[in-house]
Amino acid sequence: MKEQISALMDDDLALEDAEYLMTALKANGEAAKSWATYHLIGDVIRGNKILRHDMTASIMQEIAKQPTVLAPKSRLAKNKQVVWSVAASVAAVFFVGLVLLHQQSQEASVAPIEIAQAVPAEYLRAHQSMSPSNAAYFIQPAAFSQDK
Amino acid sequence: MLKKQFFTGLVLGFLSLFSEALFAGQDDVWLTLQKASQAARELSYKGVFVYQSGNASKSVQLTHMNYGQGEYARMVVLDGAPREVLSQGSDVVIFSPKNEKIMIEKKRGQNMFPALLPSNMDALKASYLAQAGGTERIGGRDATVVSLSPKDQMRYGYKFWVDKEFGLLLKAVTLGEHGDALEQIGFSQLTLMDGQNMDWFKPKFDPSKSYVMDQDGPAKANSADMDWDVAQLPAGYRKVDQVKQLVQGKGLPVTQMIFSDGLASISIFIEPLAKGVRPKVGHTIVGATNFFALVHEGHQVMVIGEVPEAAVTQFGNAVSFKVKK
Repeated sequence: MKEQISALMDDDLALEDAEYLMTALKANGEAAKSWATYHLIGDVIRGNKILRHDMTASIMQEIAKQPTVLAPKSRLAKNKQVVWSVAASVAAVFFVGLVLLHQQSQEASVAPIEIAQAVPAEYLRAHQSMSPSNAAYFIQPAAFSQDK
Repeated sequence: MLKKQFFTGLVLGFLSLFSEALFAGQDDVWLTLQKASQAARELSYKGVFVYQSGNASKSVQLTHMNYGQGEYARMVVLDGAPREVLSQGSDVVIFSPKNEKIMIEKKRGQNMFPALLPSNMDALKASYLAQAGGTERIGGRDATVVSLSPKDQMRYGYKFWVDKEFGLLLKAVTLGEHGDALEQIGFSQLTLMDGQNMDWFKPKFDPSKSYVMDQDGPAKANSADMDWDVAQLPAGYRKVDQVKQLVQGKGLPVTQMIFSDGLASISIFIEPLAKGVRPKVGHTIVGATNFFALVHEGHQVMVIGEVPEAAVTQFGNAVSFKVKK
């Protein structure tokens, strides 16, 4: 069962062939838990900072943190609208925040590296091979002296 | 008033005398280098020279022959990984064993030791001051010492030892900004050759091994294909070549421009930054070679040269992209 859930997530198993799995996911608590856990593992492997596992909970938490609007009963209908619009904008802000955070974490993974830590032997070799006066290339070109 | 004019005249007179003397001296020294450049190409000789860069040092056996039918040369690296270079005119073939195969690389000629100096001295005269520095013994032979000091911070200094009798370059040293030897190459043994025997002109590798031609050579690039240029070249430098080539480990070809002042050379590599690739930035030095990397308009710019840090930095910052039409 767990292997099949994993296969479904990786698109190795067609959705049409997995009808029974979907039923199991809905009915069986354990299968649903595996589903969530596998997604969590996937996120960790991919280096996503936002882990899907507890996202539902955190959104609900944010909404719960918002002040409850108390108002006279006569204007109830209108206030209900206000509460919903507040909730909607909180959700919107939250999702924009999520997107931004996600982008930032992606940028961090391609942060510049100091050239001193990764001297590019392949470029040095290309330079040596093309420069008009370069004894080094014929005697000990960059890559050769390093790939021993 | 008259007195003042007289003094000015006197000073000017001395100055012109002095500079003439200096100029004449300079001319002689340049002539020595010019002869060394010719001798390296026209004479027939064999010997062993030592190449030293940083802590690494290698001995190389060299045979060079020219009997009016063009130049033939063979270099055999004696220390470390076996390597042989055979050249005929400006065609150069490099043999190097790799695993069970022999790699063969063909390329156009460069100024190989002892023919390190360009045949035309004019470019060097613009960038360096030449000075004679006495006589020293190198590889058992008497040599005239010539120093080239850079006129600006865009290049290193050099010191050359030229054979008094044959006019051949015996030794060359690249000097850092503080006069320290960064790289040196010089004969430990040298004799002139007689006869026209060409038996030596063949590689000495195991014939049972298979040979592989290296195909990833650079391709010439048209100026129209290059979407970038160097806005202001430092004095004395000119572009000698531009190519597109596959650099090891890169999927797309990288464009490369090569600049030279006659002795020092600088390469600039530019490629679009691929997604997810960490760009390289900053500066570092290995032996005499300075590296400078930066990111410019979504491109990785890499400058490499046997020149001081100031030069690679200036080249890197002078790169500009052409406006797309």
